[in-house]
Amino acid sequence: MSVEASPMAIPISADRTRRGSWHLPTVSRSMLLSTLTVAVLLAAWAVVTEMGWANELFLPKPQAVWAAFVKTMTKGYQGATLLQHLGASLSRILVAFALACLVGIPLGVLMGVSKNARALLNPLIEFYRPLPPLGLYTLLVMWLGIGESSKLSLLFLAGLPGIVISTIQAVTSVDPVYVRAAQSLGATRRHLLLHVYLPAAGPLILAGMRISLGFTYTVLVAAEIVAASAGIGWMIWDAAKFLLSDVVIMGLIVLGLTGVVLDLIMRGIARLLMPWART
Amino acid sequence: MMKRLVATLAFAALTLSAPARAEDKPAKVTVGYLNLVNAQLVTKHLGLLAKEMPGVDIKYVKVGGGGDMLRAIAGNDVDFGGLGNPPTAIGATRALPIKGILVINLLDYVEAMVVRTDKNINSLGDLKGKTVAAPFGSTTHYLLLQALKDEGVDPASMKIIDLAPSDIAAAWLRGDIDAAWFWEPNLDKAVKNGGKILITSGEMSKRGYPTWDIGVVMNAFAEKYPSYVEKFVKAECEGIDFWLKNPEKTAEIIAEELSLPLPDATRMMKGTGMVPCEKQIGGEYLGTSAKKGKFVDTLVATADFLVKQERLPKLLPRTDFEAFIQPSYLEKVVGR
Repeated sequence: MSVEASPMAIPISADRTRRGSWHLPTVSRSMLLSTLTVAVLLAAWAVVTEMGWANELFLPKPQAVWAAFVKTMTKGYQGATLLQHLGASLSRILVAFALACLVGIPLGVLMGVSKNARALLNPLIEFYRPLPPLGLYTLLVMWLGIGESSKLSLLFLAGLPGIVISTIQAVTSVDPVYVRAAQSLGATRRHLLLHVYLPAAGPLILAGMRISLGFTYTVLVAAEIVAASAGIGWMIWDAAKFLLSDVVIMGLIVLGLTGVVLDLIMRGIARLLMPWART
Repeated sequence: MMKRLVATLAFAALTLSAPARAEDKPAKVTVGYLNLVNAQLVTKHLGLLAKEMPGVDIKYVKVGGGGDMLRAIAGNDVDFGGLGNPPTAIGATRALPIKGILVINLLDYVEAMVVRTDKNINSLGDLKGKTVAAPFGSTTHYLLLQALKDEGVDPASMKIIDLAPSDIAAAWLRGDIDAAWFWEPNLDKAVKNGGKILITSGEMSKRGYPTWDIGVVMNAFAEKYPSYVEKFVKAECEGIDFWLKNPEKTAEIIAEELSLPLPDATRMMKGTGMVPCEKQIGGEYLGTSAKKGKFVDTLVATADFLVKQERLPKLLPRTDFEAFIQPSYLEKVVGR
């Protein structure tokens, strides 16, 4: 989702000095460069389509995609407006992601603290993690049916390993000096968890959550292929059947932008919760 | 430099305009065939295409439904394909580089709407509040919406969901859906597991909404290897001929190809209308190059319907659909 997804990357930007507070971002050099990339891409798209170098069936003009956007916002696509489609998708993603965090973080902490727990659970996580989501999905549909539960399960399973693995890493990399210092001051296990492990591991866990949200996002279209009747992923899939490439591209742009916004929100939350972290 | 460029261009123009004098032989021919019951299975099973095209690597690809076939065509993944009239109307309207060259089959009770017996559904009006499945963009999705419109039932009063035929069968067995309009061989699985037929595609045909599947060829292939398009049509015609003359052997082939019990294969066969090639150039079907037949009417009506459903941007003039139907290969094969 972002080049800064790696927890090791330390962004060198002016707003580090003001972290933890909300300000309008100043126009920096990197922002200008980013804008340039977008502008060049848009210009190339416009030129290629205006000159008729691309078949309009596959690459419609920017204005056609814009028209599809306006039409879907106002009149809707097959019974639901763009915001309703987006709402259906986002609620699926957020519910599944929240479940993945609720299960994944405790599981990761447990596996990080206890070697036995890690040995017991690792085979499961390591086995299903590399499975392609669509292969998994056929089985989920057979077990759970075509309703919401199979869709949520797929999104949940896509998000889970990222969180678990980064939480394990985060917990095991907590400096043992912190732990011993707290213990010598008489910290109980509960104190250790709440005041040493979680604050120290927090930034890495949050980085894992960001990556995991990205994974959840990438399987959205797959999750909405089977028997959905609303959702951005479904809209893209359905439009492709009728070769409405303007709707397909519009949907992809909306998906991409929403993903960026979600990631920004996650980073904002990280800054608020953990001002000591470099996110 | 300039001279050479001009020479090259002139040469290119010459070779392009020369009507395939020394026609190449394609190294490989890819046939996308729909997963349904028709004579294409016979042609495939008997290897008739291979007999027509010795030395050519022939690859058959099974495609689930019209929507997937459109994607395969748009992605240039097949040389020949088959499409029902709604996907054909979509493809022709979106200017996909294909031509319709033969009638693969007419759809009778091989396609039908099955409803759950215990849900007490006796008319389309009883579907209110129920979950109904159909592969979107296919013939049955089109007929479902058309039938609802005809009887004045609001499609929004039920939950219509998009599922591939094999997924419909699985969802039916799990009890996730109450009704579905789709086709054999999967239709039978629903009927045998607590289902009954409410309406068939054949009945809709009598109401004035015929559905059929048409064989298509990619324009680029047809321009490069016109005689191979003829060979393809000839092989398919032989398959149709075999189907009409040897129903028992055909049923055995269908049963084997689709892993079905023989009685089921026989019944499904009877639900499929097969048109002998010499009749296909009649006014009821493709028509002749000079005077295109009723298939054009069906395509125009289907496209019009899809425009009203906001699945297509605009209705093209009739001539565009006429240009899509290309009986010339068939005419040569049947010797007219």
